[in-house]
Amino acid sequence: MNHFFVFLKKELLEYARTYKLLILLTVFIIFGITNPLIAKLTPDLLANFMPEGMTVTIPEPTALDSWAQFFKNTQQMGLIVLLLVFSGVLANEISKGTLINLLTKGLSRQAVIAAKYGAMLLVWSVSVGISALLTWIYTVYLFPGDPVSHLIFAVFCMWLFGAFLLAVLLAASALAKGNYGGLLLTGCIVVVLFSLNIIPGAAKYNPIALAARNMELAAGAAEPPALYPAAGITVLAVLALLGLALAVFRKKEL
Amino acid sequence: MNILEISDLHMSFGSNQVLRGLNMAVPEHAIYGFVGRNGAGKTTTMKIVLGLLKAQSGSVTVCGEKVSYGSARTNRHIGYLPDVPEFYGYMRPREYLKLCGEITGLPAAEIKSRSAELLELVGLAGVNRRISGFSRGMKQRLGIAQALLNKPRLLICDEPTSALDPIGRRQVLEILSAIRGQTTVVFSTHILSDVERICDHIAVLEQGRLALAGTLSEIQKQHRRNSFRIRFAAEEEGRAFSQLAELDRPGIELELEGRELQIVSGDDSIGGQELIDLLSAQQIAPEKFEAMEPTLEDLFTEVVK
Repeated sequence: MNHFFVFLKKELLEYARTYKLLILLTVFIIFGITNPLIAKLTPDLLANFMPEGMTVTIPEPTALDSWAQFFKNTQQMGLIVLLLVFSGVLANEISKGTLINLLTKGLSRQAVIAAKYGAMLLVWSVSVGISALLTWIYTVYLFPGDPVSHLIFAVFCMWLFGAFLLAVLLAASALAKGNYGGLLLTGCIVVVLFSLNIIPGAAKYNPIALAARNMELAAGAAEPPALYPAAGITVLAVLALLGLALAVFRKKEL
Repeated sequence: MNILEISDLHMSFGSNQVLRGLNMAVPEHAIYGFVGRNGAGKTTTMKIVLGLLKAQSGSVTVCGEKVSYGSARTNRHIGYLPDVPEFYGYMRPREYLKLCGEITGLPAAEIKSRSAELLELVGLAGVNRRISGFSRGMKQRLGIAQALLNKPRLLICDEPTSALDPIGRRQVLEILSAIRGQTTVVFSTHILSDVERICDHIAVLEQGRLALAGTLSEIQKQHRRNSFRIRFAAEEEGRAFSQLAELDRPGIELELEGRELQIVSGDDSIGGQELIDLLSAQQIAPEKFEAMEPTLEDLFTEVVK
C-alpha cells in the first residue's frame, strides 16, 4: 500500500510538472464554462448568419441544450484529449528504462499498475467533475428552473466510460510497444465496441452505451436501470483490463 | 563469505546462447571487475541477479537468499547502477533520492540525512536544478547516489564509465574506490585500465563462462610465462646474444627491437637465472634486466583470442 501511495505521488508530480494536468484542467474548464454559453447563444448566432429575408424558427434553448453540449464535448473532444495526454503511460517508462532503478529498490509491479491507473483516474475525475460543476452552475444561472432528469447518474455514466477507456489505454500500453502503440490499440478496441452494437441485444451491455445515452437519461427518455447492465459489464471490464495490464507487465523483461 | 553466488547459469536470446553454465562467486567487500567483450553477457548476468530477466536454468543467491525472477525481495541487499541510468527529468536530485528512499522504506529523517551525505559524496550537494539539465557524468554520479541510498551490501555497476569523458570516468572511479570496505562492488566493464585501477578481484566472461577469475596477482601468477626484457648497451651486443645456441631452442621466442631483446619462454625452457648466467658467461653487462608480469590486457587478449 505504501508503494502505491509513493508512486501515485510521483505520478501526480509528473502530471503537474509535464503540464499534463494543466492541459486537461484547462480543456475541461473551458468546456464547463462554454457549454451553457454555446447553448444560450446558438440561436442568436444562427439568426445572425441566416441570409436576409430567410426565417427559421429555432426553439428557445433550455438547460437540456446546455447538458447536450457538455456530453458532446466530453465524449468527442474531452476523451480524445484525455487519451492523447496519457498515451504511452506505461510503454514510455518501459522503453526509457526509468522504472529499472525503482523496481530494483523493491517497488512492486502491482503498485506501478495500480498507481498509474489511480493517478489517471483521479485526474479524469477532477477534470470531468470541474467541467460538470461549472456547466451546472452556468446552466442554473442561464436557464433557471429548467428540469433535467437523472443528471448525476448521466454524468457518472460518462465518468465510468472514461474510467473504462483509461483501463483500456493502460492495458494497451502494457501490450504495445512505443508511445502511440497503446493509443492505436485503444482506438481499435473502441471501433470494435461500436461495431458490436450491430449485434441485436448487444447494445444494452456495451460500455459505449455509457457515453451514448446520457441525453436520454437527462431528458427523462431513459431510466437509470436501462444502463445498469452496461455499467456492470464496464466495471467488470475495468477490473479485467487492470488484471491483464498487470499480467503483461509482470512478464515484461526490463 | 561470498555475497553473490552464481551457479550453472544458462541464458539465450533466440539462437544466441549468451550464458553457457556460468559459475561465479563474489567475496564480500571485494571490488570485483567483471570483464568481457561487448555482448559477452555481462548486462544479462546482472539483470538476472536483479530478478529483471529470467534465466533458462541455474541459480543465483545474494547474501545466501535465492534470487527469483520478477521478485524484488533480494534487491534489498543490492544497489544497482545501470550503464545509462534513466531518471525522471522533471525531478530534482533530492526529490529523486526521496522517491527512492520512500520505496526502500527508509524513515523520512534518514532519507534526508543519507541524501545529503550521498550527494556530498558524489559531488552534487549544491545542485538543485532538474535532472533533465544534467550531463551524462552528473547522471552517472546521481545513479551511484541512488544505488547507495539504502546502504546496500552489494553494489552492481553496469559499465559505469563507458559513456563518460576522462574527467567523469575519474570521478566515478574515485567514488567507487571511496566505498571500498563498506560495500561489495561488482563492476562490469570492457575498459581494462579501470579494472586495474580499482578492482581487487577480476573475472573475465568469454563464451558464456568465466575464462579467468581471482585476484589480479593470483591470475598473473597462474598465467605467468617466463618473460624477460633485456636492454643492452649496444645493438650489436643484443644481436650477438640473441644468436647464441643456448637460446635457439623450441619454446623460446625472441624479439629484438633496437637494443631491447624480449624473451618469452612458454614452457619454462629457460629461467631468469640461466639468462643471467649466459649474460655473465658472455661478459655482457646489460643496462636493464626485467622479468615481466603479464598485464590484464595481455591476459584478456590471450583469453578472448
